[in-house]
Amino acid sequence: MNEKSQRQVFTYLQKKYIENFVGVPDSTMKFFIEEGFKRKAILIANREEEAIGIATGMILSKSPALVFMQNAGFANSLSTITSLVELYQIPMLFLIGWRGFLKNDAPEHEKIGQIQPELLDSLGLENRILTDKNFKNNCDWALSKIKKNKPVALIIRRDFLD
Amino acid sequence: MIRREAMEIICNQYKKSIIISANGFISRDLFSTLEKNTNFYMIGSMGLASSIALGIAIKKPGKKIFVFDGDGNILMNLGSLVTIGSLQPKNLVHIIFDNKMHESTGGQPTYSETIDLSKIAKASNYKIFKINSKSSLTKILVNIKQNAGPILLLIQVSKSKEKSLRVDIDPVEIKRRFIKAIN
Repeated sequence: MNEKSQRQVFTYLQKKYIENFVGVPDSTMKFFIEEGFKRKAILIANREEEAIGIATGMILSKSPALVFMQNAGFANSLSTITSLVELYQIPMLFLIGWRGFLKNDAPEHEKIGQIQPELLDSLGLENRILTDKNFKNNCDWALSKIKKNKPVALIIRRDFLD
Repeated sequence: MIRREAMEIICNQYKKSIIISANGFISRDLFSTLEKNTNFYMIGSMGLASSIALGIAIKKPGKKIFVFDGDGNILMNLGSLVTIGSLQPKNLVHIIFDNKMHESTGGQPTYSETIDLSKIAKASNYKIFKINSKSSLTKILVNIKQNAGPILLLIQVSKSKEKSLRVDIDPVEIKRRFIKAIN
């Protein structure tokens, strides 16, 4: 996703519904996070599960929250997603950076990049991939789901190498 | 003092408080001590009670938020002490019932036996109270009414002989009534 779209995803979600953005940084969504910092709306956690915990507290206080993370952190969070978010039906919006999407990404991302779609399916966590073209539609889709008490994920692909 | 006794003293002084309780015997003890809608029994996701409480404390600055935590639980999410200490929520009271073991899984030791958790919390800019008797607990509970948080009460407790009953409320119902009660 290009810089402009990433910044627009942030402002769009904030304008439409989301009041809190909690997470662990990921370079795939660097500009999304940067835009959030510019607007003083980002809370950084030490680990992804911690971010999910904090966001859960905010949602219980009726303040909608998004949790952002890299897919490595998504793998860290599996038990928290099943035993907190899904068990209590916490309407949380995840934004996950898809490392290992490109076949020649760094080796540590290869395996998780491969199994990520299956992991999301196994969890039953509905998800859509954001692109420069479709992001408004897919953000609207995600917001409509969490308004109906369903946790969902939006995915940003790592479509460049560095 | 066992954990249930400590909880009874706390719940007696703060009858209507908002409490996030850690999984395992801690939530079970709270459920048996004072069941109410403003209790959020976190029955899974070990380690995250203080993080959930932080999220609420940020959003509800006018309300005192209690965490009922354990040594095993906080050791699983030590980073939470650093985040809470950095954000300095004045309304957060973090209570750790420290039995120096994973009592819920059979009494295996934790490292709180060798490392003093209050020192870590102190380095993270918490206000610290170490408690090992019922009388000092009662006194400090009065004292913290005037104190701004984040506050840590590290309460030394011994192993309980009896098990409290499991929380038998459906998690979605725990959430529904909690949201209704605190908002």
